[in-house]
Amino acid sequence: MEHLLKVNNVEKIYGKGANRFQALKNISFTIDHGEFVGVMGPSGAGKSTLLNVLATIDTPTKGDIYVEEDNIAKMKEDKLADFRRDHLGFIFQDYNLLDSLTVRENILLPLAIAKQPAKEIEEKVNTISRSFGIEDLLDKYPYQISGGQKQRTASCRALVSNPKLIFADEPTGALDSKSATDLLESLSGLNKEHETTIMMVTHDAYAASFCRRILFIKDGGLSQELIRGTCTRKEFFQMILDELAEVGGDGNDLV
Amino acid sequence: MTLFELALKNIRRNMKSYGLYIGSTIFSIIIYFTFAVLKHSDDISGLAETSKQMQAIMSSSAFVLMIFVAIFILYSNSFFMKKRKKEVALYSLLGVRKRSIGFLLFFENIVIGLISLVIGVGSGFLLSQALLSLLLKLMGLSLSVGFAFSLQAVMETVVVFFLIFLVTSLLGYRVIYKFKLIDLFHAEKKGEEQPKARMISALIGVLSLASAYWLALQDLMTSPAWRILGLAMPLVIIGLTILGSYLLFNSVLVYVLNLLKKSKNWAWKGLNLMTSSQLLYRIRGNAKTLTIIATLSATTITAGGAIFGTYYNTEKNVEAFVPFSFMWEGEEQDIPAALIESEVSFETKEVVVEGEVYDESYHVIDETAFLNLAEALGWDIDNIDLEKGEAIVVDPFYDERWQEQAETIELAAGDIKKVEEFYEEPLFNIPTLPGTTVVVDDTAFQELDGEHTAYQAVQIDDFKNHLDLSKELEAKTENFSSAVQNYQDSIESSGAMLFVGSFLGLVFLVATGSIIFFKMMTEAEEDKGKYTVLYKIGVSKTEMKKTVRYQVGLIFLAPLVLGLMHGTVALMAFSNLLQMNLWEPIILWMAAYTMIYILYYVMTVRGFNKTITQTVTQEG
Repeated sequence: MEHLLKVNNVEKIYGKGANRFQALKNISFTIDHGEFVGVMGPSGAGKSTLLNVLATIDTPTKGDIYVEEDNIAKMKEDKLADFRRDHLGFIFQDYNLLDSLTVRENILLPLAIAKQPAKEIEEKVNTISRSFGIEDLLDKYPYQISGGQKQRTASCRALVSNPKLIFADEPTGALDSKSATDLLESLSGLNKEHETTIMMVTHDAYAASFCRRILFIKDGGLSQELIRGTCTRKEFFQMILDELAEVGGDGNDLV
Repeated sequence: MTLFELALKNIRRNMKSYGLYIGSTIFSIIIYFTFAVLKHSDDISGLAETSKQMQAIMSSSAFVLMIFVAIFILYSNSFFMKKRKKEVALYSLLGVRKRSIGFLLFFENIVIGLISLVIGVGSGFLLSQALLSLLLKLMGLSLSVGFAFSLQAVMETVVVFFLIFLVTSLLGYRVIYKFKLIDLFHAEKKGEEQPKARMISALIGVLSLASAYWLALQDLMTSPAWRILGLAMPLVIIGLTILGSYLLFNSVLVYVLNLLKKSKNWAWKGLNLMTSSQLLYRIRGNAKTLTIIATLSATTITAGGAIFGTYYNTEKNVEAFVPFSFMWEGEEQDIPAALIESEVSFETKEVVVEGEVYDESYHVIDETAFLNLAEALGWDIDNIDLEKGEAIVVDPFYDERWQEQAETIELAAGDIKKVEEFYEEPLFNIPTLPGTTVVVDDTAFQELDGEHTAYQAVQIDDFKNHLDLSKELEAKTENFSSAVQNYQDSIESSGAMLFVGSFLGLVFLVATGSIIFFKMMTEAEEDKGKYTVLYKIGVSKTEMKKTVRYQVGLIFLAPLVLGLMHGTVALMAFSNLLQMNLWEPIILWMAAYTMIYILYYVMTVRGFNKTITQTVTQEG
C-alpha cells in the first residue's frame, strides 16, 4: 500500500549569513494510513518546525513532502489552502478557538468553509461531539468552559471534516493530567476505530505512550524510532523513558 | 451555515471591537458632512460676499479636514485589523483561500462604510443645523435659518468617504496577501529590542528645540536672524520644532527613563521597574505617533489661541481703531439727544510739509478742540496750556521699532515747534481721519495756512445697539465712520474664523485623543499577558492600576506638554507681531484644551484597566 505521508530529505534553514540556523537536517520518514505517530525530542530540537513544515504552515527550504500523490512542499498558495481544508486537521496547545462563536459553531467552521449542506453538518457535529463527550456544551462559549473542554472542542473541529491527517502540537501541554488522559484516550480511540491518522508532537512521555510509533528528533535530525508493536501502553511508556534517558535529552523534558 | 453567515455572526458577537471602528468612522463622517453642509450653505455663501476670506477659509479647511479624517480612519482601520489577525489566521489554516478571506474583509469594510455613511450623514444633518445657527449667532447675525439640506454636501461626503473606504479596503486586502501563516505562531516570540538612548541625539533634540524657540521669539523687524533667513524663517522654525519633538521622544525621554531605571533605590521599589521599562519600550516605539500628536496639538493650540484671541479682542480693537461712536465730515446731524453722551464739533487744517524724502501731511487742530475731544474720550490730561512754539502730536501708527519720536515738528517753513506731549492712542476714528494729528495753540491755529474742514465726533450711549442710526447717518454724511459698523464687520469675519477655527480645533483634538486611545487599547491587548503574570505573582489590582495610570499618563502628558510649550511660544510670537495682549484668551483656550485632554485620559485609563482586569480575572 502507498504511504499516506512521505517525507524526503527535508531541510529548513532560518536566517542568512551569520544568523543562519539549520532547524531541520535531512529528514526522511513515512507515515502510513491509520498510524498514530508521536514526535519527541528536547526543546529546540526542531519538533515544532517539523510539524509546521508538514502542516503547510511553514515551507521547507529543501526536500519534498508527499501526501499520497501531492507534493505539498511545491504547492501553490491557493491549492495549499484547498488542501488544508480538504485533507488536514489541526490541534494546538493553545486551542485557537474563536471566542465569539459557540462550541458548536467553532466545530462546524471547517464544514461551513467546505460548503457542506446544513443537515449533514448538524449530524457530523453531533457525532463527533458525542465521541469527545462534549455534546452538552455545544451552545456554550469558549470562555465558559474549561481548558480540557476547550481542547476537546478544538479536537472535534480538527476531526469533524474527516481529514486524512491530523497534526497535534503539544495538545496536552496546557491540560491537567485527568483532562490530558481523557483527550489522549479519545484520540487513541478514534485512531483505532476510524483509522484516523494522527501525528502528535509532544515532550511528554506519558502523552507519547498513547502513540503506536515514536520518532525522536535531536538537533534537527531524526535520531531514533520506537515502535509499540504489541506492548501495553505501560510497557511502551517505560520504553520511552528508557530511550529518553539514553538519548540524554534535557532532563527537564523527561516528565 | 455558510462561512458568510458565520462571519456575520462573528460581527454581531464582536460588536465591541467593531463598535469602536464603526463609531470612529461615523464620527469622521459626521464631522466632515457637517463641515461640507456649512461650506455649501446659502447663508454662509451669502456672507462670503461680505467677508471674502470666508470661502477660501472654508475650502482650505475642508481639505485639511479631509486629510485628517483619512488618516484617522486609516489608523482606526489598522487597529481594527490587528485585532482580527487571529481570526484571519484561523480561516486560512482551515483552508479558506486568501482571495476569499480578502473578499470577506473587503465586503465587510464596504458594508461598514455604507452603514456609517447613512448614519453619519443623518446625524451630520442634524448637527449641521445646530452648528449653523450657532455660527450665525457668533457672527452677530440674527437671521432665521431654514433647514439647509445640501445635496452638494451629501455628494461631496459620499465621494470623499467612498474613496477613503476603498483605500482602507484595499489595504485590508493587502494585509491578507502579505500575511504568512507561520507569523501567527511566531508572533509572540518576537522580542522587543531594549531601547538605548544616545547622548548625542538627546543633545541635538534639546538644542534644536531651544533654537526653534529662540528664532520664533526674534523680532520680525530688528532681528538679524530674519534678515539672514528671510522668508524661509517660518519653515526653519517648524522644521526645527518637529525634529526637536521627535528627538525628545526618541532620545531625551528614553535617556531620563534609563537613568531612573538604573537607580536601584527608585527602580527596585514596587512596580517602578515594570512601569519604567513599559514606558521605555512604548515611548521609543511611539516616537513617531507622539511627534505627530504633539505637532497637531501645537497647531491646534496656536491656531485656536490666535483666533480666539482675535475674537476676544474685537471690542478692544474696535475701540482702539474707532474711538468715537460716529464721526463724519461736514455739518452736525440730528441725533436723538437722549442717546448723546458727548458731541464735539471741530475744524482741522490740512498741512503738507515738504520733506527731504517724502512729504509729511498733518491734520492740525487747535488746543480747544483737542481738550474737548480728549474729554469726550475720557483721556486723563492735566494742565496743558500750549505756548506758541509748542505742539502736541498724536500718532496712532507710531511704532518705536520703525521710527524715532520727533522732538520738534515743522509745520511751515521756519515755524518749528517743540513737541510737548506725544500720544499713541488715536484721537479720531481712523477711517475718517487717518494719520498724524498736530495740536497747536489756538492763536497759532488761526494763523496757520491750510484748508479748513469741519468734522463732527459723537459719543453715544451703548453704541453697539445703534446700527440703524449708523446706517442712517452714513447715508447722509461724507467720510463717515462708526464704531458699531466697524464692530459688526470685525465680528463677522472673526466670528466666522472663530467658528471654523474652533470646529477644526475640536476635530483635531478629538482625533488626537482618539489616536492615543486606540494606541493604548492596542497596547492593553499586548500587555494582557504581562499583567496576568504580575497578578499571578501576587501584585494587587490597585498596584497594577497605578502602573497603568503612569503608562497611559506619560503617553498623554508628553505630547500635551510639548504641544502647549510650542503653542505658547508661537502665540507669544504672534502677539508680539500684532502687538496685542492675548494672555487672557490664550490661557482660557489652553485650559479648555487641557480639560478635554484629561477627559480622554480618564476614559483611556478606564478602558485599559477594564481590558486587563477582564483577562486577569478570567485566567487567574
